[in-house]
Amino acid sequence: MPLDIIVGIKWVPNTTAVNIDPKTGTLIREGIPSVVNPHDLTAVEMALKLKDKYGGSVTAISMAPPSALAGLEHVIGMGVDRGILASDRAFAGADTLATSYVLAKVIEKIGRFDLVIMGHETIDSSTAHIGAQVASWLNLPYVYYVVDAVLEDDGNTLEVTRILENAYEKYRIRLPAVISIAMHTFNPRRVRLSEKLRAKMEKPIEIWSIKDLEIDPNCAGLRGSPTVVSGIDFVPKVPRKNEVFQGSDPKEAARWLLSKLIEEGLLDL
Amino acid sequence: MSTKEVRKKLRIEDILNNNVWDVDYEAHIIVDTSKCAKCEYKPCVRLCPAECYTMVDDKVLFSYEGCLECGTCRIVCPEEAITWRYPPSGRGIHFRFS
Amino acid sequence: MDATSYRFDVVVVGAGPAGSSAAYTLAKRGFKVLLVERGRSPGAKNMFGGRVYVSPLKEIYPDFENKAPIHRWVTREKVSLVDGDNMTTLEYEARNSKSFTTYLTQLSGWMAKQAEEAGALLLNEITVDRLYMENGFVRGIVVGEEVLKADVVIDAEGINRLVLEKSGIVPRLKPSQVALGIKEVIKLSVEEINTNFGLEGNEGLAWILMGDVTKGVPGGAFIYTNRDSVSLGLVVYLEDAIYKVNKHISNYIEELRLHPLLNKYIKEGRIMEYSSHLIPEDIGSIMPPKPYYNGLLIAGDAAGFLLNLGYTYRGVDFAAYSGYLAAKAVEYGHDNGGYNEENLSIYKKYLEESFILKQLKKFKDVHSLMKKERLFELYPSLANHIARELFHIDYESPKILEAIKKAKEGRVGWFTLLRDLYEVSRKI
Repeated sequence: MPLDIIVGIKWVPNTTAVNIDPKTGTLIREGIPSVVNPHDLTAVEMALKLKDKYGGSVTAISMAPPSALAGLEHVIGMGVDRGILASDRAFAGADTLATSYVLAKVIEKIGRFDLVIMGHETIDSSTAHIGAQVASWLNLPYVYYVVDAVLEDDGNTLEVTRILENAYEKYRIRLPAVISIAMHTFNPRRVRLSEKLRAKMEKPIEIWSIKDLEIDPNCAGLRGSPTVVSGIDFVPKVPRKNEVFQGSDPKEAARWLLSKLIEEGLLDL
Repeated sequence: MSTKEVRKKLRIEDILNNNVWDVDYEAHIIVDTSKCAKCEYKPCVRLCPAECYTMVDDKVLFSYEGCLECGTCRIVCPEEAITWRYPPSGRGIHFRFS
Repeated sequence: MDATSYRFDVVVVGAGPAGSSAAYTLAKRGFKVLLVERGRSPGAKNMFGGRVYVSPLKEIYPDFENKAPIHRWVTREKVSLVDGDNMTTLEYEARNSKSFTTYLTQLSGWMAKQAEEAGALLLNEITVDRLYMENGFVRGIVVGEEVLKADVVIDAEGINRLVLEKSGIVPRLKPSQVALGIKEVIKLSVEEINTNFGLEGNEGLAWILMGDVTKGVPGGAFIYTNRDSVSLGLVVYLEDAIYKVNKHISNYIEELRLHPLLNKYIKEGRIMEYSSHLIPEDIGSIMPPKPYYNGLLIAGDAAGFLLNLGYTYRGVDFAAYSGYLAAKAVEYGHDNGGYNEENLSIYKKYLEESFILKQLKKFKDVHSLMKKERLFELYPSLANHIARELFHIDYESPKILEAIKKAKEGRVGWFTLLRDLYEVSRKI
C-alpha cells in the first residue's frame, strides 16, 4: 500500500531579516535571501515520514520564478523524489486564489496521487488559504492542523489527527485527500550529500510553463487575482512610560504591577 | 532615527538585527558549563562578537541563535568546554555584504 | 542510493576564493570536479576586510577586471596613527590602481559561478565532517554517515579547519595563531561616499588605522569604501585580546564608529551587516607542516596563507592563487601517475616559486613586531605629539628635531627609538 504524495512548497523571503527603512517606513528587501517556507518543510517531513513507513513517492510542487529551483533542490536533498516548478510570467502577481488554481492544475496533470500535503501557512503572508483552495479546486476532502496520519489496512483510508486549542480530533478520510500540517509538528530532516548529488545529476526537477498546463489564462496570475491591497496601516507606536518598581520585596512588586495594569485598563479584577 | 543610527552607540541586539540567519532548530554550540566555574577570565563572554555568552549570577549562559560562526569562542576557551560545529543544511548566518 | 555511486576526480571542500579558484582551474582543464559548500550559496559564510589585490586574480580568471563584481579601485591609501582625538596620517594617491574593494560574499559567488560554468558541480548546504582515509591515503570526504570517494581532495575549508582537525592532520587552533576581525558595513549613497571621502567615480579609499583605535589591545582598524557602503572594522590579536579586552568586544567597534574623527565620514549611514571572522597570523606556526599529503592538498586560510603587514592585509589573492596552484599540482599528479605525496609535493614547490611563500617567508618576523606595545601605543602617540608641536603654534615654530625631542621626553629614549626603527625597517 504505497502512498504517492504531493507536497506544496513556497519560496519566500527570509522574513526574519526584513527590516523597516527608518527613512521611508518601507520594507528593506535589498539582498534578502529566500528560503523554503519553514512550515512547508514541516509538510515535507510529514510526507517523507509517510513514505518511509508505507513506501511510494513524494513529489514537491511550487509556483514561482526560476530562482525557486534552489528551494526544490533543498527538499530533494531531504529525500523528495521529484520536483515540479510551475513557472511562467503569466503566473506573476497571483493572489492565493490564482496560485491555488495553478497548483491544482499541476496536481491534475501529475494525475496519479493519493495525498496532497501542505504547510500550515506561509511566513510571508500567513493566509493559510492554499490548502483549502487547492482541495476545493480538486473537489477533495481537506483536514488542516494535522499532526499525525496513519494509513489503514485497506490502503485507501487515512486516519488523521488534528490539534485544536484544547483537544485532538481524529478523522478517517477516503483518499485521495488534501491535508495541511500544524506548524512545528516536526523538525525537517537534514539534507544528505547523496540526495543533493541526485538533485544535480539526475535532473529530477521539471519546469512547467502555462503551455504545459491546461490553464484558463483569466484564472492565473494578476488577471485571476481578485484580491487587492487597499492600503497599509502601520501599528501606532505606543509611548513607553518607563516606570520602574523601586524596592526589593517581590510581593510588593507583584501588587504594584497588578495595580498598574488595572490602572491602565489592561486587567479587570 | 535614520541619521542617528550610526551616530549613537547601539545595543548589540540592534546591530545584529541587520543580519540574516536561517536559525537551525538544534544548537551547534554545546557548552559544558560545569567547566566554567574554574575559568578565571571567561574570555568567551567578552570576545564573542555577537555576545552569545553572557554572565548571569556568576554563571555563563549562552545562546547559539545570533552566532556569526567565526569560531572565536572555541579557540579562546581555556577549559576546552565548548563543542562547536557548523550548522547543517545551509543554516546559520547568511552574510550578504561582508 | 548512496553517495558512493557517484565518482569525481577531485572534491574541493569550500567554495571560497581558494576552493572556487581550484575548482575553476581544474574544471577548465577537463577534470570532473565536485565543489562542496556549507553555506546556502557561495559567499554566505565568507567575510574579509574589504580590499583585494588584482594581479594574481587576473592570472587565474581571464578578463577579470571587466567581469568580476568590483566596487571601487583603490586610488587613495591612508595610514593613520591615532592618539585620543588626534590623528597623524600618511596619505598616498595614485591614478592607476592595483587593488579594489568589494564584498567577499559577492566575489566568492562570482568565482563559484565561473567554476560552475567551466563544468564543476557545485553543491551548497553540505558540511563536510572529515576526510575519508584508506591505507594512509585521503580518498574522499565524509558527510554525516555518507562517504563520497574521489581520487584527490583539495581542502579549502577556511580558517577554522574543523575537517583537518577531525582528520588528525592539524591540531586545534591556538589563540596565538589567529586574530579576530569584526566589521560593520555601513550603507551610504554613492554620492555621499564620493563627497565625504573626496573621491570621484569609482575611485576608492583604503584606510588603515593604528594606535588608540584598539584601546591598548594589539591590532588595528580599517575603513574601505565600497560602491555605496563603507566597511569599517577592527582586528585584534586573539592571544592578547583574551587578557586585554576588558569589556564586550562589540564596544570597541562601536567606539571606533563613533570616534569624532571618523564618524563625520559616515554620519548619514545605517548599518547593513555585522560580521566577524578569524584571520591567520604567525605564519610559521599556523601553516600545516606540509600543505600536501597522500591524496590531499590544502589551500587558502586553512593553510594559513595570509599576509598582514600592519598597513595592509592580503588574504583573498593569496587564497585564490594557492587554490590555483593546488589545481596545477593535481594536474601534475594526474600526468605523473597519481596523487601520492611525492607527486603532490610539487605544490610546495609551486608555492615557493610564487609570491605566496616568497612573501610569507620574507615577512615572517612581522608578526612578532605587530605585538610590540610601543608600536601600536607609544609611537602613534609620539607621532601625534610631534605633529602637535609642529602645527599647534601660538607664536614660535620649533625646529623638527626640537619637536621630536620634546614629544618623546620621558617616554622613550633615543636608543630604543632607533633600535625599533631599525627593527621595523628590517622586518617589514
